[in-house]
Amino acid sequence: MPDWKPHLRTRLDALRMDPEREADVVEELSQHLDERHAELCRSGMDDAEAQRIALAELAGQPSLVEEMQPLRQARAPERIPAGSPPGSLLVDFWHDLRHALRTLRTQPAFAAVAILTLALGIGANAAIFALVDATLLRPLPLPDPDRVMVALEKTEAAPRSGVSPLDLIDWDQRNHTFEKIAGIIPNVGGMVMSGANGTAENVSRQWVTAGIFDVLGVKPILGRTFTEEDDREKRGSVVLNESFWRTRYNADPAIVGQTVRLDGDMFTVLGVVPQAAEVIGRSDIWALAPIIGAPARARSAYFLYAIGRLKPGVTREAAYADLDAVAAALAKEYPDTNTGRGVMVERLHDTLIGGDMRRTSLLFLGVVMLVLVICCANVANLLLARATVRTRELAIRAALGASRSRVVRQLMTESLVLAAIGCALGLAAGAALLRVAPAVVPQGLLPDGFALTFDLRVVAFCSIAALVTGVLFGLAPAWQATGVSPARVIGAATRSVTGRGGRLRAALVIGEVATAVVLLFGAGLLLRTLLAVESVDRGYRAGGVLTAMVDPIGDRYPNPGDLTRFYDEVEREVGSLPGVDKVAWATTLPLGASSFGDAYIQVEGAPATESKSLPTADYQIVSPAYFAALDVPLVAGRAFDATDAADAVPVAIVSEGFVRKHLIGEALTWPLPEDQLARVLGRRITVKLSTDPDAETAVREIVGVARQVKSRPDETEDFVQLYVPLAQSPTDDIFMLVRAESGDPQALVSGVRSRIARVDTEQLVSVRDFMTLEQVAWDATSRHRFRAVLVATFAGLALVLAMVGVFGILAYSVQQRTRDFGVRMALGAAPRDVLRLVLRSAARLLGVGAAIGIGLSLLIGQAIGSVLFGVQPLDPLTFVSVAALLAFAAIVAMAAPAWRASRVDPVVALRGD
Amino acid sequence: MTDTDTRTLDREMKKGSAELIVLAIVEARPRHGYEISKLIEDRSVGRMKFHIASLYPLLYRLEERGWLQGRWVEKAGQRRRRFYSLTPEGRRVLTRQRATWATFVEAMQLITGADHA
Repeated sequence: MPDWKPHLRTRLDALRMDPEREADVVEELSQHLDERHAELCRSGMDDAEAQRIALAELAGQPSLVEEMQPLRQARAPERIPAGSPPGSLLVDFWHDLRHALRTLRTQPAFAAVAILTLALGIGANAAIFALVDATLLRPLPLPDPDRVMVALEKTEAAPRSGVSPLDLIDWDQRNHTFEKIAGIIPNVGGMVMSGANGTAENVSRQWVTAGIFDVLGVKPILGRTFTEEDDREKRGSVVLNESFWRTRYNADPAIVGQTVRLDGDMFTVLGVVPQAAEVIGRSDIWALAPIIGAPARARSAYFLYAIGRLKPGVTREAAYADLDAVAAALAKEYPDTNTGRGVMVERLHDTLIGGDMRRTSLLFLGVVMLVLVICCANVANLLLARATVRTRELAIRAALGASRSRVVRQLMTESLVLAAIGCALGLAAGAALLRVAPAVVPQGLLPDGFALTFDLRVVAFCSIAALVTGVLFGLAPAWQATGVSPARVIGAATRSVTGRGGRLRAALVIGEVATAVVLLFGAGLLLRTLLAVESVDRGYRAGGVLTAMVDPIGDRYPNPGDLTRFYDEVEREVGSLPGVDKVAWATTLPLGASSFGDAYIQVEGAPATESKSLPTADYQIVSPAYFAALDVPLVAGRAFDATDAADAVPVAIVSEGFVRKHLIGEALTWPLPEDQLARVLGRRITVKLSTDPDAETAVREIVGVARQVKSRPDETEDFVQLYVPLAQSPTDDIFMLVRAESGDPQALVSGVRSRIARVDTEQLVSVRDFMTLEQVAWDATSRHRFRAVLVATFAGLALVLAMVGVFGILAYSVQQRTRDFGVRMALGAAPRDVLRLVLRSAARLLGVGAAIGIGLSLLIGQAIGSVLFGVQPLDPLTFVSVAALLAFAAIVAMAAPAWRASRVDPVVALRGD
Repeated sequence: MTDTDTRTLDREMKKGSAELIVLAIVEARPRHGYEISKLIEDRSVGRMKFHIASLYPLLYRLEERGWLQGRWVEKAGQRRRRFYSLTPEGRRVLTRQRATWATFVEAMQLITGADHA
């Protein structure tokens, strides 16, 4: 057959066709000419004549070139030949970018897997970064936030004790390092605000001292804030939160100067401050707590947090030294109250973000970073496999003169394009996650004034993460793919060259498996912690109990007798409600909040102690029905009853922890033997509500011992609990407990409200926070649950990704070794021998990865020891479970490639090349 | 019909109807270029010939318009060949062109037909 190609090429040269397309056209037209030539020969023409006619038809009128000219394919854009001299970087980049997009379009499956993997990793990082940013990185919304310090008193027993008002005044006057020191009461409470028209509503209120807003640097947007003058004059005054002013008063500027009635007292509204002030507490209203001229005994009432603004340029250390000197001087002047009371100074930011929050944030950040690392490893693996297949293409480019750096740059562009698309999707996923986050993040995990936001900082963080990962997962494959000599690759026909790439990929898979093991192990420990926290014996029965906060308006029940009568009447009315089993009152909810706090105790017969170093007990005021309503068994003695009235002998019930710590001092066995019982029942204890020597004291007789009730789900040491009867210590701010006869106690809410209304309609506003005791318990463990669920989710993700990696490398190596397996089987190897061969190599990767992972887990267990409960950092059960899970996942990942390897048909395998 | 007549007819008719012819040829099943040229010649009993220089640019044009799809097909023991098949769009165009052509022929007959001479 004549060779038509030179004729065709000469003609097509006039067009600007893509070389690949031109080759196609040349081949197609050659075939046509071949057949035409054969046809002419068959009709009796000689070879030369047939050739001449065929070529004449090609020349035709109009010519091929003329006919082709209008076609798009005849005007292909100028191509930069591989190995062209380096042009402008920008032009190169533009070409690389287009080439990358084209290449990815031709391999949609590869691109989709790679992009989704990256989007997962980056999305998770976006969400967690928002958390870390909100808590650890972002400065407080105050001017010069780093100059705002919290100062507390410090004793041997209490490293973070409150500050007494008189100490606070002395600190403020005598220091040289602070511009101003003011105080707050950290708890935000509720107040009943009554309107002129007889309406009433609940508002949140925080007590602060004059000057607090100057310390924070918060300027009023309307009116003014508290001054020392207000304090000295003892004016009842309040400042409104901007958001409250806008929603409640429709941003009415006329509110300034008006008076409002709070808990029956009149307060003047001085001004409105921006929401930034919420860093000290999320409150609607800030009320002035007057401290100037407090009586001398207030020296030992440690209820304030001091907040100060440093002078410019002063360090925390200098401020500490300064205040410490002031405290030492005060200890000399007031030895009774101030001996042994030092100070501690820390940034307000550090106080708000407690250690638990910091640990949780860092734990999550570490976890998502590891997930991202696995994602990178997986994508790198995919790219390596693809680069191995593309080695020939790249080698040809190199042979045509493309420099190594030029080819690397092209491959890197592809990686960065993947990373960029993954980043965009990841950010979208992150934004979506943050949208649902408020519903998932447990209440109280984020302190007041902190919010998760999706902003430019998150975008910037993720973009940098994407850039770094793009470079990381792109560099190795690019380098490896271009490091092979072109001659060797091109000579290797269609078989691909493995070797270094294979080892690199194996290393990546080992890394992935190790990382997944670490995450699984951490998740296992946190899940075990959650289980331990949830299954621990809490000492009471939460099911079927409804609680609500009752905070009677002060001026309607001015003396204790009135208050007691109100509680009794409510108890009787609610108790007669159908479906109600028992009604009780308590100042502390098990696993929940306490509205009272601690008391100082001294046991009769124990060595006398100075008043300021007295031991404390969790002081719980309860009504007689409390123990029965919560099913808290009395292990000795009796419960309170009607005889424990205000004028009767003061009595108390103590917890097992109390008995162990203060009365017997050894392990207890119930029922207590007579001799021990005698050391408990009838013993008297002196109870003081403050360490002030003049503070009111009560001597109480122990009449019973109650089973220990958990105050926190993960407490490692029993709280020392002291119960006193409500009639002997009447208080407002108390929890009502209603046990339902059966069914959901939530159903009782409206009934309970209507029964309270029968007693006193106005008091309805003081009843709030209806919850079941189960919800209280659930909230108490929510941090553990949140941590465990989040880390477990990420660990699961990591495991899946790692197994995708194992699957990928195995499937690829089986494909590469088909011939090898074919030869073995042709020589008599049974399928199971091949199977063993494949599994052995995979098992080696898994084994090495798991070993490294377990080694790292030993370190991780120690590192997260502080968030664990009821499980040892080296928990063997967790190790075994992780190993079993890994083995199971590995079997799933290896099944398909192994099966395929064992089914290799020697004949096909050998012919395949 | 003389050779000159054939060439004139060729040129004139091809301009208007070449697309219709090619689309009709591949309607039943995919065909390669040489086969298409032979079928045109056979079906017109030699009156119409598409030579290489005009046939392939036409095929490529129809392909670029999305009416045809070319695909390399490899068969055991044979050279690989490029087969052209109708795309759904091509099928719609063919139907439309057929109808137009029928109307045109009818009109021509009405105008130039012997019946009215």
